[in-house]
Amino acid sequence: MGLDTLSNSLKDAMKKLAGKTVIDRAAVDELVRDLQRALLSSDVNVKLVMELSKQIKARSLDENLPKGINAREHVLRIVYQELVNLVGKEAEFSLKPQKILMAGLQGSGKTTTTGKLCRYFQRKGLKVGAIGADNFRPGAYAQLETLCKKINVPSYGDPKEKDAVKIVKDGLAALKDMDVVIVDTAGRHALEDDLIDEITEVNAYLKPDHRWLVIDAALGQAARDQAKRFHEAIGIDGVIVTKMDGTAKGGGAMSAVAETQSGIVFIGNGETIDDLERFDANGFISRLLGMGDLKALVEKAEESI
Amino acid sequence: VVEHEFVLSEKDIEESLFELQMVLLESDVAYPVAEAITEHMKKELVGTHRKLRESADDVVTDALRHAIEKVLGEGFDLVSYIKNHEKPVKILFTGVNGTGKTTSVAKIAHYLQSQGLSVVVGAGDTFRAGAIEQIRVHCERLGIKLIAHQEGADPSAVLYDTVEYAKAHKTDVVLADSAGRFHNRVNLMNQLEKIKRVMKPDLVFYVDEAVAGNDAVIRAEEFEKTVSTDGVILTKVDMDPKGGAAISIAYTIGKPLVFLGVGQGYDDMKPFTPSLIIDEIFGDD
Ligand SMILES: Nc1nc2c(ncn2[C@@H]2O[C@H](COP(=O)(O)OP(=O)(O)OP(=O)(O)O)[C@@H](O)[C@H]2O)c(=O)[nH]1
Ligand SMILES: Nc1nc2c(ncn2[C@@H]2O[C@H](COP(=O)(O)OP(=O)(O)OP(=O)(O)O)[C@@H](O)[C@H]2O)c(=O)[nH]1
Ligand SMILES: [Mg+2]
Ligand SMILES: [Mg+2]
Repeated sequence: MGLDTLSNSLKDAMKKLAGKTVIDRAAVDELVRDLQRALLSSDVNVKLVMELSKQIKARSLDENLPKGINAREHVLRIVYQELVNLVGKEAEFSLKPQKILMAGLQGSGKTTTTGKLCRYFQRKGLKVGAIGADNFRPGAYAQLETLCKKINVPSYGDPKEKDAVKIVKDGLAALKDMDVVIVDTAGRHALEDDLIDEITEVNAYLKPDHRWLVIDAALGQAARDQAKRFHEAIGIDGVIVTKMDGTAKGGGAMSAVAETQSGIVFIGNGETIDDLERFDANGFISRLLGMGDLKALVEKAEESI
Repeated sequence: VVEHEFVLSEKDIEESLFELQMVLLESDVAYPVAEAITEHMKKELVGTHRKLRESADDVVTDALRHAIEKVLGEGFDLVSYIKNHEKPVKILFTGVNGTGKTTSVAKIAHYLQSQGLSVVVGAGDTFRAGAIEQIRVHCERLGIKLIAHQEGADPSAVLYDTVEYAKAHKTDVVLADSAGRFHNRVNLMNQLEKIKRVMKPDLVFYVDEAVAGNDAVIRAEEFEKTVSTDGVILTKVDMDPKGGAAISIAYTIGKPLVFLGVGQGYDDMKPFTPSLIIDEIFGDD
């Protein structure tokens, strides 16, 4: 078993199309089946995979084969375009003064990423501070404070205060001289109505410039419904995918992006404070399919048109 | 009465099998596992005799239920294991980052205490910011003895001290927390092997979360290879009650499920029984 065999079969299916100058329905069918397998093994939502593969099949068969490229390059280009359509849009943000609200499931990496984002803005020359509005998890503020202290960034929290809105209010006052304020929140999930209400209230009070959903790269099919609920509650405008230094492929994040009509802002790829990267669609999609540098392949094909 | 019978062909069950594979995938059973289970079912079913009034759908659903029951197993009775072993019984908790190891240590400490057993916890995560504070607060609230060193200390040393404490105080159970680590980080996996050599756990519990998708298979396999686990704890089942990850993991490493974590409270820990997962997948009540 294992994913290597899977991506190999995708490559094999691609190869079968390589020499062809006309589109062969059977070969496209086979390719789409292998593509489905690769996407499902990377945790892309089942329904999304079915929609995607229908679209790819239809386009591959309907669109005229451009002169100068072979069938394989034609289909590859369509696959790439469709995936870029889904996740390609990098979520925008600027280096202006702003407030950012962090949201996500328990253990997804919000607090760690809050620390990493402080580091990111600090490096860009902005004055940044963090508010620890997680009044639930034991040691949550100690965690955030430790991360911030290591990089000399001010933080505010009050482990004894139960009211998250009150913490945010006091935190904003304490950090009023900062350009950028990042608010870490407690983990919660779609079925916890009281906690969803809480973050709705924090959001209404804070009026943040951005509301970023932190998604673990290993998150599976649940990603879609979870993202939907967060989006309904506070309006997610960016996704951060954490733990991409493991072996998970991040397909759940793709569902979250589709559900929130947003884009991926950052990728977390390690436990230390500098392990944060801006999102790169090509790298993400190539990894999702286990296919190496797809963009280069597609560009090469496009040059010969 | 003569029952009419017919022989199931591949064609009769193809569609039901495909639909069931989709159900498994939507329940977060990893792709290769879902495929292996349906392949296995196909082999078992094709050519068998069925009564005419049974629909192919029912036959396939029934077979799937049995297949999953077999994969999931019967669970593991931790309390009787402890009662039947030399004390202290030492349990090491491990798994990737953020799955719920520390919270599970607290919940299980609480559970064992309520069963009349004495417990000491070792703060074996000396790496992550705030980790020691987190387990300290849990233990304070539960009135459980904690052995901790400073942040950055050698985790093996902390856990060694915890075992020594248990021996000296005739404590029944040692629960050893450890830092989250990824299976592809060689140095961290080596550290885990060292912890294992030093504290000599009786049981290694592998902790993963119900919301994990396909990676559940890969990491379970790697942890199994490096430290050889004895039982699985699946957390965050309240987020994703279908818990297909339970099937992925059990199928991959064949170790019993011990507990399911179903929330953040200390009582939100259920000893595993197969119906907890099966009923959700098949939509029974
Ligand atoms: N390897 C790796 N670990 C990460 C990454 N991001 C976070 N982690 C780890 O994941 C675990 C959980 O991270 P936290 O930041 O505590 O997650 P959280 O979302 O704040 O958790 P709650 O507040 O309990 O909901 C910790 O062990 C982090 O060190 C990453 O990009 N790579
Ligand atoms: N909803 C829910 N949350 C849980 C469950 N178990 C743990 N959590 C939460 O998940 C988050 C991470 O739990 P931890 O116990 O810190 O996880 P960990 O594996 O020790 O994390 P690291 O030490 O950072 O690797 C916390 O917010 C816990 O409260 C569960 O069964 N259900
Ligand atoms: Mg946190
Ligand atoms: Mg922990």
